[in-house]
Formats: sequence, C-alpha cells, structure tokens
Amino acid sequence: MRCWLAGRGRGSGCTATAAQRRRRLAGCRHQTTTPSMPWAEPGLRRKRSAAAPRRLVPRGFSMAAVFADLNVPGAPERKSLQSLLEAAAHLGYSTVAINHVIDFKEKKQEIVKPISPSELFPSLPIVQGKSKPIKIVTRLTLVVSDPSHCNVLRSTSTNIRLYDIIAVFPETEKLFHVACTNLDVDLICVNVTEKLPFYFRRSSVNMNIIISSAAERPLELRGPYDVANLGLLFGLSESDAKAAISTNCRAVLLHGETRKTAFGVVYTKKTHRASEEEGVLPVRKKAKTEV
Amino acid sequence: MVRFKHRYLLCEIVSEDPRCRQCIDERAVGAAAKDAVARTHGDYGLACCFIAFTVKYLNAYTGIVLLRCRKDFYRLLCSALPFITYLENRNQRYSCFFNTLHVGGTIRTCQKFLVQYNRKQLLLLLHNCTSEEERQSIQKSLLSCCLKEVEEEQSQSGDEEDDTAETD
Repeated sequence: MRCWLAGRGRGSGCTATAAQRRRRLAGCRHQTTTPSMPWAEPGLRRKRSAAAPRRLVPRGFSMAAVFADLNVPGAPERKSLQSLLEAAAHLGYSTVAINHVIDFKEKKQEIVKPISPSELFPSLPIVQGKSKPIKIVTRLTLVVSDPSHCNVLRSTSTNIRLYDIIAVFPETEKLFHVACTNLDVDLICVNVTEKLPFYFRRSSVNMNIIISSAAERPLELRGPYDVANLGLLFGLSESDAKAAISTNCRAVLLHGETRKTAFGVVYTKKTHRASEEEGVLPVRKKAKTEV
Repeated sequence: MVRFKHRYLLCEIVSEDPRCRQCIDERAVGAAAKDAVARTHGDYGLACCFIAFTVKYLNAYTGIVLLRCRKDFYRLLCSALPFITYLENRNQRYSCFFNTLHVGGTIRTCQKFLVQYNRKQLLLLLHNCTSEEERQSIQKSLLSCCLKEVEEEQSQSGDEEDDTAETD
C-alpha cells in the first residue's frame, strides 16, 4: 500500500486507505459539503480544499506542537493559581499567560508591576508529554472605551514595558479600527458571548485568531484538542483551529518579545559555502520587521 | 466492501473530587454525552451521533473512557464533548470535564495509544510520589511493563528469524 505513493513526493512513511487513494486518483476538487459539519452562516463558512485527506489523529499535534493558553486570570491566592497551572500542565499546555485586567472606567487604576512567576512558584509542574516545566508569561489587558485611554500605551514611564503581552479590549467600533491599524498591541480581545456592538468585516475573520480559556478554576480548562474542536464550531477551518492554539499563540509571544527589545526579530543562520575564505563561516542576518 | 466505519474517541475524565471516580459508569457517561450533543447540535445532532453510540471501555480508577460513534458524525460528538461539565449518577452531581486524548479508527489503535499514555503517566507519578512505598510499587510496575515490552520484541524477532530459516 505504500511503495507506489512514494513517487508522488509523499515520502515512504505515508499510508493511505483505499478511499483516500481513490479520491486522489480521481482528482476531485469540488467542495464536499459533509453532513458532519454544523451549519455555519454563509458569511462565516469558508471553502476548504477537499483534497487534504482527513487525519484520524490530528497530525499537527503529535510532532513538536506547542500549545499555549494565553488568558488565565491572575487570582490573588496562590493556591488556586497553582492548581490551575497543574491542570494546564496535565492537559499539555506549554505556555500560560497570567492576565491582569485594567478597566479605565473605574476609578483611576494604577498599572502595577507584574508579578514575577519565579517568585510565586518555585517548582513549576512539568508539561504532559514533554520534559520541560510549564512556562509562565505575564499579560495585561486594557479595557478601553475612550481614545484617551490609549495614551497610556505610548508613555514609556509606566510599568507596561514589564509585561510580556499587551492586549486591548475595544468597546467601540472606532477604537477597534484604531487598535487594528495603529496601536502597538499584541492582542485584540473580542467578547463573543454578547451580541457584537459592531460588525466584523469579512476580511477580519480571516486574520489570525487565538482562543484562550479565561478559566478561573481548574475545571473550566479544556485540553488543546477540545479547544481546536471548539474553533471548528466557530466556523474556522481545521488548520485555522489548530493554529489558533499553537502557531498563532507563538506568534503573539514573539511579537511581545520584539516589543520589549528592538522592533524586529533578528535571527542568525549559519550558511555553509564552498568557502574561499578559510575557517570563517559567514553569518547571515535577516531582520524581520513586525508591525 | 461495504461496512459501517466507526471512530473511537479516547477520553479522560478529569475531576477535582475523588468521589467522582465511583460515579463513573456507562450510563452516566452516555447520558452526559447525549445531553451535551442535544444542547450543542439539537435533535439532528442527537439522532446522527447516537445511531451507533456505545461506551466501549471504561476504567473508573484512571477515568479513561472509550466512546464509539459513526465515522461520518464523529465531529459532532467531538465538538460537543467540551460542553460536558458534570456527571450525574444516583441523583448526585460531580463536576468534571472530558479531555479528548486520541481519535482512532479501530479499538486496537486506541489501545496502543492508551498503553503508551499509561506508561508516561506512570513515569510522571514516579516523579511526583511522596512516600517510599509508593515509589517502590511504581518502580515495580514500570519494570514489569518495560520487561514485557522487551519480551514481546524478542518474540517477534524470533518469529521472523524462524520464517527466514524456513524459506531457506
């Protein structure tokens, strides 16, 4: 069942069922409307390429996939947070962001220094399936309802710089637009339980989306595979749903890091050249600017 | 070949209350799953998923459950499992949630995955255990399952050698 598929560039490790092979041979490209997907609004339903064979085990998960849950409300008690972290590690999350919410509508609130995770938790639980302990980052969410609230982001004197991730929760459409285009934030939060006060433009649905838990108790957490299935319910495609808890979250973390250091990511890569210069391996630097 | 194809969902029931383990049984799990699918996907979903729905395997000590449903509708069931928040048995409710570990097409693949998963869990337990007796008992069980794996491999390679000897 294996050998003749190798010529198609799939490699020798590929096995396919008879049905998948037939489909590939027939080259069917039409979109199959499967009865198994819940009905989604035409605006949200997206075309899926029918050529990708259905995987039984989510392939993207077994190989080096890193899951992150980027919203864990920072509770004042240490014990409940500790049990939350243990539950998250047991489920397989490699990174967790402890969230601190600032609402400008209330009386003047100070932006406090973020708690240092290493102080609070001397021994971090080990992530299920890996040998490393869970990684904790800090996140700040600003609930903005007025353009003047955004000024705090630009001021350099406050403690904002000490947080790893900055998120903004706009409450008006104009602020949402401003947040998408101008502001220097890592995440834009949307409350989906209430009816949206403004309408999502079609293009913004295709943008990078992450799903996080905001779980206050360990029982409210869900495993990464279940969260990806929830993404399917929201109308995301299968790859988008998986990306929503792995690659997009990693992108957010990297973006947060770039904000702290320079406004870009520099990575060095050794290139092997048939060298005229002996002994000196040229190092190529590539600057990636992130908006 | 026309046969009904199924998907087997391997789930773990996670709960804070230790008494929840006693309450895990097939009827409670089935009822919870039915309720969740009915709430999420309505009557259509309920009818689709529960044509060939059974709880194939249940381990109350570890909280592992193996559910079966038709291949065409397994996504409905998969997407409804996160909405289960409690199990009810004999008029007592225990808060819990389902964590999906693996989706397989046959019971055998799920069993293989479960064996590896349990081995990893034993290692984690060894890491976290407190008393010396626990540590020794876990070490004994780890050794026994690892030795069994080595024996199986040896017997398999022994069979292959016999085959090649016969063809010669």
